[in-house]
Amino acid sequence: MTNVLVTPQEEPIIFVIDDDLSVRTSLEDLLASVGLRCQLFGSTQQFLEASRPDAPGCLILDIRMPGMSGLDFQEQMVRSGINLPVVFITGHGDIPMSVRAMKAGAVEFLTKPFREQDLLDALQQGLARDRSNRQAAAVEAQLRRRYASLNQGEQQVMELVVTGLLNKQIAARLSVSEITVKVRRGSVMRKMEADSLADLVRFAERLQGVDKSGV
Amino acid sequence: MREPESFGKAAMAIRLVALLGLALVIAIADTLTDLEIAVGVFQIAVVLMAVRFLPVVGVVAVALVCMALTVISYELTTSRGSEAALINCIISLAAIAMATYLALRMAVAIRSVHETRSQLAQIARVNLLGELTASIAHELNQPLSAIVMSGNASLRWMAAEPANLTKARQAVERMISDANRAGDIIVRVRALAKRSSAHKEWISVADTVEEIVSLAHSEIDDQGVTLTVDVPEGLPPLLADRVQVQQVLLNLMLNAVDAMKKVEPGGAQLEVSVDWNAGGEVKFSVRDNGAGVSPENVERIFDAFYTTKEEGMGIGLAISRSIIEAHGGRIWMTANPSIGCTFQFTLPTGKMDT
Repeated sequence: MTNVLVTPQEEPIIFVIDDDLSVRTSLEDLLASVGLRCQLFGSTQQFLEASRPDAPGCLILDIRMPGMSGLDFQEQMVRSGINLPVVFITGHGDIPMSVRAMKAGAVEFLTKPFREQDLLDALQQGLARDRSNRQAAAVEAQLRRRYASLNQGEQQVMELVVTGLLNKQIAARLSVSEITVKVRRGSVMRKMEADSLADLVRFAERLQGVDKSGV
Repeated sequence: MREPESFGKAAMAIRLVALLGLALVIAIADTLTDLEIAVGVFQIAVVLMAVRFLPVVGVVAVALVCMALTVISYELTTSRGSEAALINCIISLAAIAMATYLALRMAVAIRSVHETRSQLAQIARVNLLGELTASIAHELNQPLSAIVMSGNASLRWMAAEPANLTKARQAVERMISDANRAGDIIVRVRALAKRSSAHKEWISVADTVEEIVSLAHSEIDDQGVTLTVDVPEGLPPLLADRVQVQQVLLNLMLNAVDAMKKVEPGGAQLEVSVDWNAGGEVKFSVRDNGAGVSPENVERIFDAFYTTKEEGMGIGLAISRSIIEAHGGRIWMTANPSIGCTFQFTLPTGKMDT
């Protein structure tokens, strides 16, 4: 995206949910030794109740926990709109479990005890994914703000412009003069910060995509 | 059922002396009473008592002593030589010999029942352990993976410029404590798997419960069951076989988990609790909110080879009952008012009769 604001890079953070204290502490130390900060939680409940910093993140989730299993929690996260890449760690992974985790979008499924490089790679991958997710979300938010600044007439014109209609046709559809359409079209391009019709079409697609996924 | 060694020996010596005293009293009575009365027959009682606490050789020895006393009393009796006295003496001897033989055979049969029962208990325990394999593996995996991670972290702290030795040392300390934790788990598993005859000792109820719960808890978590354990403080120690009590608890807990397979996720609740009325028995309860037991099965649920599970052998509860009864306790089941059921057993406090 050319002229769209980019979020500043914040220090990434790793969240760890594991009911076992010694696993948690040693994970924290391992991550600290490679310069990654992290936040530890003994249960999914604690994680939900805590406030999380607004930074690119990745979640290390134990599958076997009292109360709710990691796999169920992954689904609950999706439902409650927590969009965070998940790396699973488990003592005894079986194939159905890993299939379920990966289908639901997990970054990696590691069996304890795992090689640290596998974990670190997975975390980098997860963080990269979260960065691009966050960036995409920021871009969409920006576009939504710009779109919201259009008045109703401008929005109508924009919808028709991006379908490829000529000014004359749009004027006929909306029963306004061609001059009015031209003026509105100019302010649409300015307010949406689109350099070309192609840009505007891309923005519109993006906005529609957001609307669809928002349903 | 063994008592502590020294105490057991002393008790046995006292019993033996009392028994021989009784034999002597009977012999004297035999000598003093009229010849037509075969008081010597009462030596049978001495033999029957001896069977209860002496090994085979000892019983035979006691029987021989009794027979000797009978013969001596015949010799000493006033009217020896009379035919009736002789017949009485022979009847007494024959009765003692027969009683000894039968009593010994019965003792052997009883012993073999005990042995079979303890073998069966062993098989049941190994089965239970098999069901726990995943849980035990998980329990071991936790400290192992913590050790691997701490080791990696420690290497990095040492390789850093400048080396962070404080952090490296902390990581190594964590590795040691995690390795010890793994060792403790193995000790527990071996204690459960070990084949040994019943061995009563003074045990702490809290430790006994905690140990078995720690082996089983990840299996319980894995089934999505929420476990609550409530052991009050200040419970008296019990004279019991720790491993056998744990076997019963484990069996009841795994049964409960099985019974809750169809409970909706997150809803399954397992409660293990202990009650104690001062002076009375200690009562253990394992409560679930699972499928429960249908009324027609309630009567037979503790019977051997009776099972309501598809893959069950029907020995778990039967073994549990025989273990608890051998400890002088009771085991029973009640349906919960709402849903599921509760298994309870009691173990007496204070000295146990062997």
